Amino acid sequence: MNVTLSEQDILKEKTEYTGVHPQKFALWIAMASMTMFFAALTSALLVKKGDYRSWEGFTLPTVFLFSTFAVIGVSVFIHAALVSYRKSKFAQFRWYMFFSFLLGCLFLLLQLKGWSVLQAGGMTLTENLSGSFLYVITAAHGVHIVVGLLVMLVFIINAFKNRKDPIYELRDIINPKRQLHLELLVSFWHYIDAVWVYLYVFFFLNYR
Amino acid sequence: METATAAHTDHHADVHGHEEHHHEETFLTKYIFSQDHKMISKQFLITGIFWGIVGGLLSVLFRLQLGWPNETFPFLESFLGKWAEGGKISQEFYYALVTMHGTILVFFVLTGGLSGTFANLLIPYQVGSRDMASPFINMLSYWFFLGAGVVMFFSFFIQTGPASGGWTAYPPINGLRDTAVNLGSGLGFDLWILGMTLFIVSALLGGLNYIATVLNMRTKGMNMFRLPLTIWALMFTAVIGVLSFPALLAGCVLLEFDRLLDTSFYLNNIIINGNLLGYKGGSPILFQHLFWFLGHPEVYIIILPAMGLVSEVLATHSRKPIFGYKAMVFSILAILVLSFIVWAHHMFVTGLNPNLGAIFTLFTLLIAIPSAIKVFNWIGTVWRGKVRLSSANLFAIGFVSMFISGGLTGIILGNSAIDIQLHDTMFVVAHFHIVMGVSAFFGMFAGVYNWFPRLYGRYMNETLGLIHFYITLIGAYAIFFPMHFMTGLPRRYYTYANFETFNNFNFLAEFISVAAIIVFLGQVLFVVNFFYSIFKGRKVEVEKTVDGHDYGNPWGTTTLEWTSPIERLHGNWPGDIPPVHRWPYDYSVNGREYIPQTEPLKPGEVPHE
Repeated sequence: MNVTLSEQDILKEKTEYTGVHPQKFALWIAMASMTMFFAALTSALLVKKGDYRSWEGFTLPTVFLFSTFAVIGVSVFIHAALVSYRKSKFAQFRWYMFFSFLLGCLFLLLQLKGWSVLQAGGMTLTENLSGSFLYVITAAHGVHIVVGLLVMLVFIINAFKNRKDPIYELRDIINPKRQLHLELLVSFWHYIDAVWVYLYVFFFLNYR
Repeated sequence: METATAAHTDHHADVHGHEEHHHEETFLTKYIFSQDHKMISKQFLITGIFWGIVGGLLSVLFRLQLGWPNETFPFLESFLGKWAEGGKISQEFYYALVTMHGTILVFFVLTGGLSGTFANLLIPYQVGSRDMASPFINMLSYWFFLGAGVVMFFSFFIQTGPASGGWTAYPPINGLRDTAVNLGSGLGFDLWILGMTLFIVSALLGGLNYIATVLNMRTKGMNMFRLPLTIWALMFTAVIGVLSFPALLAGCVLLEFDRLLDTSFYLNNIIINGNLLGYKGGSPILFQHLFWFLGHPEVYIIILPAMGLVSEVLATHSRKPIFGYKAMVFSILAILVLSFIVWAHHMFVTGLNPNLGAIFTLFTLLIAIPSAIKVFNWIGTVWRGKVRLSSANLFAIGFVSMFISGGLTGIILGNSAIDIQLHDTMFVVAHFHIVMGVSAFFGMFAGVYNWFPRLYGRYMNETLGLIHFYITLIGAYAIFFPMHFMTGLPRRYYTYANFETFNNFNFLAEFISVAAIIVFLGQVLFVVNFFYSIFKGRKVEVEKTVDGHDYGNPWGTTTLEWTSPIERLHGNWPGDIPPVHRWPYDYSVNGREYIPQTEPLKPGEVPHE
């Protein structure tokens, strides 16, 4: 019996126990996992701050506040994109996705700017443990942002490539898999945005 | 989302409706890039067997050195070249052997090989689901695992050799890239970190799939307390993995920053050849906290699946309901919770505050309670059952024996006051090898012998299985039991020749080495049996044929995996997924030998739960 079922057949309607799609549930578990990752890094920072006598405090560059705004912007726009998608307003969807992508890139640029401000102030990667932690944690978070941007880019390319094709748009409406994947992407972005807000507040409180 | 649900419901109405989606499988999609949980399970198992052989062989090599420190083995030079010049294993390579033996067996065999194999095989089958929540991510999980393995294996063939600073990867020795300090701390350790990172990604991708599948994709009627204990164990294992592996990843990221970019997370005032290096402020203890925050839960990641498999095998082959089902479930849950708050018992000698040590001692000893409940229930299950002494069941019984023997020394080591004396001695080696290494292997063997017919539609050879069991049981005790009596003998030493006091252990060391070689050769029987049986094993008896599909039930099992046809079928059931009406342990009740979970309750029959 050399046949295989499509993924959709395998997954059909299995939301009766938790009320969510299994893949979305899996993403939530992944979020719990990522939370443990950042919790480990930030608690390591707290431990070292507590036991290292020459810990150097410094002022967190204001750039990081702007990147916080940028990342909140991503959340707003990508959510707007999802809403337009659900209403089948694909033109709106494309532009909202595009703007959130731009804001995501802006976030990364601002993070780099934040690093250069720190370096200009003498706090290089190896200058003091306090700075090292900031670089490593922001870099680890940045990797998640890059992954989010890459996936977002795939969505945008697909959306723009086929924008003239009414059949494609029609297929989009009835394709629950594509809508699910979009929902997963949006949830992921909300999550990493929230992580950054947490990290910003954490840094703000710990580097005073 | 509403349209999605509507479209799905329509699909569900007609079971044969999905015939039109079928497409032919090519060799590549069937065997290599398979998204079928059963094929991925086989991939994990066979990769695990490969790693088992490598990891075991490494231990035989270092046992040669430990058993006969003054002898030379010229044949080693032809295999290992410069690592064994003149037939004597070099000091650097000895440490690499110890390090890689630990890494490979803990992570690649007993985590990837064990959880990966049986979670993939049993979760969709036993909960009644067509596949994992995300078959694609499941495939990625295997490919990350394989990639991790390729990187680790590759590190054996580089000039400076594989990582050699211990499987626990402690800084400062592993925090410096200087090969003059330690040969294996060069590229070998970078590859170790890379391999472990890939491995962690694999474990996380797999784990989130397992949890999502168990919680969301059960068939009708399969409420949580009708799940077989295998599923409970595998799911809680995944929960532990998903929450603790990230801590190791964080630890490894900081370590690699120290190594490559000269930060000082773990390093402080290092002096090499009289030169003070520029690291300041770091603390190697920080790494130990991050490492053991995974490292301790990791031992439960290893042992819980084995416990689950053993529970299932014991009930099936003793023809008795599992004793204390709910106590078993809550014991696993208790172990899960406790596993996160005992990590510092690995760190009693790091200068930990003794008051803190007392708290960790308390939590550590608390683990004895759920463990003892489980042991009691296993014995209660076998007690006065119609016990089949098949190789699967013997390995399950052997597991219980090993777990008790190893657990007893755990009570001793869990006390900080005693642990300080015994830390890093052979007593510890004996403890964790018996309670975690050998036990988990026994659980794994029980699982393989029991579910081999499900994997390949054939049985493994029973005679070879029995020989394999007795060699392994007696041999494993012969290896590890004497280690308890090598009082004060430090572990990981290359030679004890300079210590007069340890000379009286020479005979024991030699005895252990001989036993280790015999046990290793005994495992060859298993490997031969395994691969021979895939092609030539006795076929599973066909009990009935429906719609061209053959059905069988080789062990008379109640669970859902044998309601699926013997052949490998993507989607597991040709028609609807059978609904479930009862708990999975109706053995020898109502005058019947066993009652499948799919059989409705008779009028007036009281369900177990």
